Amino acid sequence: MPTPGGSRASNGPYTPRVSILEARGLTKIYRLGEERVVGVSDASLVLQAGEFAVLAGPSGSGKTTLLNLLGLLDLPDSGSLVFDGRDVSALDERARSRLRRERLGFVFQAHQLVPVLSAEENVALALWIRGLPEDACARRARAALAAVGLAGLEDRRPDALSGGQRQRVAVARAVVGEPVLILADEPTASLDSETSKHLLDLFEELHRERGVAFLFSSHDPRIVERADRRIRLLDGRIVADERAPVGARA
Amino acid sequence: MSRWIRLAARNLRRHARRTLLTGSIVVVGFVAVTMTAGFVSQTFTSLGAATIRGTGGHLRLLDPKAAGKTDDEASVILLDDWEGLSAILGKDPRVAQAMPKLSFFGLVVKGDKSGAYLGTGTIPALERGASLASDTVVSGAFFSNPDAEDVMLGSGLARAIGAKAGDLVTVMTTTPDGGLNAVDASVVAVLSYPIKEIDDRLLFLPYRAAARLLKVEGRANTVAVLLKDGVELDAAARDIAGALAAAGRPVVVKTWLETAAFYKQVKLLYVAIFFFMGLVLSTVVILATANTMTMSVFERTREIGTLLAIGMERGQIRTLFLLEGLLLGVVGSLVGAAASFVLRLILNASGIMLPPPPGGTRGNLLHVDFIPLAYGLGFAVMSLTLLIAAWWPARRAARLNPVEALGHV
Repeated sequence: MPTPGGSRASNGPYTPRVSILEARGLTKIYRLGEERVVGVSDASLVLQAGEFAVLAGPSGSGKTTLLNLLGLLDLPDSGSLVFDGRDVSALDERARSRLRRERLGFVFQAHQLVPVLSAEENVALALWIRGLPEDACARRARAALAAVGLAGLEDRRPDALSGGQRQRVAVARAVVGEPVLILADEPTASLDSETSKHLLDLFEELHRERGVAFLFSSHDPRIVERADRRIRLLDGRIVADERAPVGARA
Repeated sequence: MSRWIRLAARNLRRHARRTLLTGSIVVVGFVAVTMTAGFVSQTFTSLGAATIRGTGGHLRLLDPKAAGKTDDEASVILLDDWEGLSAILGKDPRVAQAMPKLSFFGLVVKGDKSGAYLGTGTIPALERGASLASDTVVSGAFFSNPDAEDVMLGSGLARAIGAKAGDLVTVMTTTPDGGLNAVDASVVAVLSYPIKEIDDRLLFLPYRAAARLLKVEGRANTVAVLLKDGVELDAAARDIAGALAAAGRPVVVKTWLETAAFYKQVKLLYVAIFFFMGLVLSTVVILATANTMTMSVFERTREIGTLLAIGMERGQIRTLFLLEGLLLGVVGSLVGAAASFVLRLILNASGIMLPPPPGGTRGNLLHVDFIPLAYGLGFAVMSLTLLIAAWWPARRAARLNPVEALGHV
């Protein structure tokens, strides 16, 4: 449903304020033997189309747990989640898988590429699982790789790429399916500062040009600085939800 | 599907040494199954041929009154006018020859030594062509004169009574009427029959001499019919029974398979051994492959978590691992088929003599038949076995929790 506010990107395409994710009172508790560990407690937030947001907080604050819940990778113990205007809290495994492959993109801390596939095949994999024709998968995978600056490296296997290049392949895999939201869990954690900067530039560029929403989980100050929305967590609770002034990031 | 096969193939290549080791178990299993099948088949063929020759033919004609009787009971029921039967049989182009057989027993005496025998009265010239006995002469010459009172003895029996070729012995028996009769006969040959128990009792007399001894001229316990090569056994048996009945000579026609109890027992034993061996091999292959696949699932846990996270269905994960198992089975079977074929050629050309079978006195040349069915079955069984072996690891992979899998170290 459109919400007031207009587009966030000062020089990107117009993106209506449509909420794509609405979390209400999400709680996740882990049991370690007799002990109960609160992963996320009563987390509520609305994520809108085209946002560039970060879940920030120290280690153990519940960033990754909340990201997993919002990314339909995990089920909350209580609370509800509305995705694209539809309550997805009670969806079965199959329907959640379908939403993940068709509407979401994922970037992980380590690139998490399949080592036996080339860069192009790794990207195409996200389309293979949708059952798209081989040539269409290859064509779109090559375009996605070009978009992340890896044209010419399509046939290389992950072990023949640098750390930054691997992470770019992972980004290409996340965007190739044209998702509405990309969830990135500590995407710069295993990269040096220079490579991290280039990767963040890439995220911004994709965000600006494609209007895709990003939700990071990170305690990397560079990501936190660049995000126009900072959702801060502490001990599993959202303690702050700040929006940067329009144009402040540019 | 081709992209998944490609991915499965690459995953197998990822741990080439481990895949090679598991694949080699499949290859060895396939070779063992097909070679054993070839060897067993050849054994069945040899045993079948030996059984046919041991009874003098593919078919046995019996008097209808002998139907359903035990061998002992049937031995005193004789067919009349075997020559008349033989003349009718001669009109069937599928019949190579028909010869009478008289079965009798008694004592054979040389000097002060005697031994119990199981005798066969037969036509020498026909027996030579149809029977195993002609291959087993160790001294003297196979009998040939249909009218002479010549005798051939098994080497065990000859040893027991101290007889050798050229000696004179007395063959004593009881006639069907219960009278005692005897004939002096020259030992013309000593035979070494493959089965020791038979060798110790074996005695051949020409049919006419035997018929005179038993006082049953013109009659026979059975007429053994040797068919030409390639003749369909059951059809020939049916047609011959019909032709003889139509000619007013009803008989019971039994195929060699119906009367070959030893052959059937050996075949059953071999099939049981073969089945057991297959079971053991399949178990070994399943365990080895399941172990490999389980290790693979364990090592690829994070990768599986990633695949689940990006939306791969659990069924697709399961299919991927099953494909890896199936591919290993298919490739292993193909390599196994090639290895088996080559090994078979080498073994068949090697001229290796096998030791005599239990109870036998002569070994056979090693020969392994090519059995296309065994290759086909081996292929199907190995592929299925690998699928079964991959099923549990595949199921385990498909049931992984993506969050836990992504956090796997």
